[in-house]
Amino acid sequence: MNVVELKHVTKRFDQFVAVKDLSFEVRQGTIFGLLGPNGAGKTTSIRMIVNIFAPDEGDVLVMSKHVSPELQPHIGYLPEERGLYKKMKIGDQLVFFANLKGVNSTEASRRVDEWLKRLELSDWKNKKPTDLSKGMQQKVQFIASVIHDPDVMILDEPFSGLDPVSVNLLKNVILDLKQRGKTIIFSTHQMEQVEQICDDICLINHGTQVLSGGLKEVKRRFGKNTVIMDYEGPDSFLGDDLVKHHNRFPNYSEILLNDGADAQEVLKRALAAGARVNRFELVEPSLNEIFIESVTGKASVSNGGER
Amino acid sequence: MKKVLIIIKREYLVRVRTRAFMIGTIVSPLFMLALIALPIFFATRGGGDRRVAVLDQSGEPDLFDAIRKSLASRGNPDEELNRRDPGVGSTNYALTRRVVAPGEDMNALQTEYSQKADKDPDSTYLILRPGGLDKIEPEYYAKNTSDFSIGTLERAINDAVSGLRLKRAGLDQATISLYTKRVELTRKKVTAGGGVSEGGRADFVVAFVMLFFIYMSVLIYGLFVMRGVIEEKQSRIVELLVSSVRPTQMMLGKVIGIGLVGLTQIGVWAVSALLLTTVGVSTFESRGMRMPNIPISLLVYFVVFFVLGYFLYATLYAMVGSTVSSEEEAQQAQIPVTLLLVVPMVIFNMIIANPTSTSSIALSMVPFFAPTLMMMRIAVVNPPLWQILLSMAIMIATILLCVWIAARIYRVGILMYGKRPSITELGRWLRYS
Repeated sequence: MNVVELKHVTKRFDQFVAVKDLSFEVRQGTIFGLLGPNGAGKTTSIRMIVNIFAPDEGDVLVMSKHVSPELQPHIGYLPEERGLYKKMKIGDQLVFFANLKGVNSTEASRRVDEWLKRLELSDWKNKKPTDLSKGMQQKVQFIASVIHDPDVMILDEPFSGLDPVSVNLLKNVILDLKQRGKTIIFSTHQMEQVEQICDDICLINHGTQVLSGGLKEVKRRFGKNTVIMDYEGPDSFLGDDLVKHHNRFPNYSEILLNDGADAQEVLKRALAAGARVNRFELVEPSLNEIFIESVTGKASVSNGGER
Repeated sequence: MKKVLIIIKREYLVRVRTRAFMIGTIVSPLFMLALIALPIFFATRGGGDRRVAVLDQSGEPDLFDAIRKSLASRGNPDEELNRRDPGVGSTNYALTRRVVAPGEDMNALQTEYSQKADKDPDSTYLILRPGGLDKIEPEYYAKNTSDFSIGTLERAINDAVSGLRLKRAGLDQATISLYTKRVELTRKKVTAGGGVSEGGRADFVVAFVMLFFIYMSVLIYGLFVMRGVIEEKQSRIVELLVSSVRPTQMMLGKVIGIGLVGLTQIGVWAVSALLLTTVGVSTFESRGMRMPNIPISLLVYFVVFFVLGYFLYATLYAMVGSTVSSEEEAQQAQIPVTLLLVVPMVIFNMIIANPTSTSSIALSMVPFFAPTLMMMRIAVVNPPLWQILLSMAIMIATILLCVWIAARIYRVGILMYGKRPSITELGRWLRYS
């Protein structure tokens, strides 16, 4: 069942077309990655889902209904740019946000205690945001967006500014929510995170869809055209005829091959050039690579067939 | 509607609980009260008994008794002679007569009594120099000469002297009382439709105070609204809010919540002012200051005009707040709105000088001026009811229009950061769906 559906949605601001004929579906109980470069139209799309903007054309459906204020209690939204009231205690703010989503105060304060405990913030309940670190404020904002136990959550860069421990904590919370059947739309620029937690993705650029589908399937579509190689020695053996793109990281190299190039040929040349190869692996391209290629138009694999 | 209530509650509580509000609302009237009451308190506290030794060189045998009698008759209207005794303080003057014989050393005597007065503040003395009733210049010596109740003594001496002079002219006590009976001017105000009402003594003061209060409160609370909008926008709280509430609800909740804070503050002040006047009214009146007689209807009008004026301007300030990204930008952007509010303060003299002229009536109908100028006209001349109702109707219509415009600007503005929009852009925002 599709919990969120966009059907041929277009949104204009004066002459500027922010979203153009965009369609995608989010299946219930999955984590959906909404990706795209800055200014691609992600925030506009999200704002149409949470009923901040109305689309000029097309339909935005949440739980099979056109978005309306009645649906807002079922949606949780953590915006990318977010803040808290400076002069209000953390506990009071969260109760306020819960109230706005239709949760009564008794129930809200029970949930606030529960969530603060879960995110290790119980001691800060009666403090004001100015006493909290940026990371702690982020966690409070996260709570504000899920306090009403919504069926659909839209998390825009939920991990930005968090230390690895907090990232892990929050990631587990998100996976747990998914386990409980919640649907999550996840927007980020951190492709590793997408690879870790997303089931489906949709990549948009200039307001239109570039790529969409299941994460595994999308990667498969690009084929095993990438070599991960850990070697010592010069890299002069990597000729232009074979290699399209080469990312040399301190510990290994990621080599994107040209269409039809044979990976074995790379290994042969490396050995011939006298390099010591510690690791050689033929893999699907990283999502990061796919993102950059799709957005800059240098994609080596046509994705037309799938759309 | 429920969401608007939740926002009203937050806006209200968050402001009422601040230290600034507590200080502004509770401490400042207390401070004002203390400022007025303390000197009176200390001045009248004296109370008790004051011994006055009268060093009598006047040679008038009846004078001392007349003064004593006059002092004792305080508060008894039949005995009063051309005076309204304040009764300030309950100081009891106990007069003792010390007749100074013509040959005595006055300087030595004075030194003796001065030393006594120095040791005991309740011991004072009065000198009646020789010269008779026609040239009497009494001198009062005391440790504390700023005591309000000295006025009582002065008036008593005056009465005694005048009484004796009249008696010397051959009038009996009854005639004297009759001739010197005090006359009071009763002021009645002609109201709409030719009726007559009490009061009107301090119309100008009341009108000005009300004009000023409406101006100040609308300005202060209007700017609160603007600052609140900027705070939510700057800290990006709006981003979290807009997925739960419609921007129009946010705006209305904020405007109403802060308006209630204003009404609370005005309410507390009104009550403390009432207490102040009931406590202090006798004090003021006794000292010749008449407290203005404010009819209840005027207070009702005041609240109505404050609410309407506040709503009109707060909406405009909310709109301004939504179009800017920082307080600095707001300083400039709010000028047109504030100017509208200031205009009546510049021209109110004209209105008060001629409150019924055509231009005054016309100006008091302009919705942006009505809260101050119509209020002022009501306080001064009781304009016909239709004029008051018309001005209210015009204001309500303008408020509805402003809310509509502001809401449309607001919902776009709160999510726009960076460059301030031009007028043309604002026009385009109105048409967004």
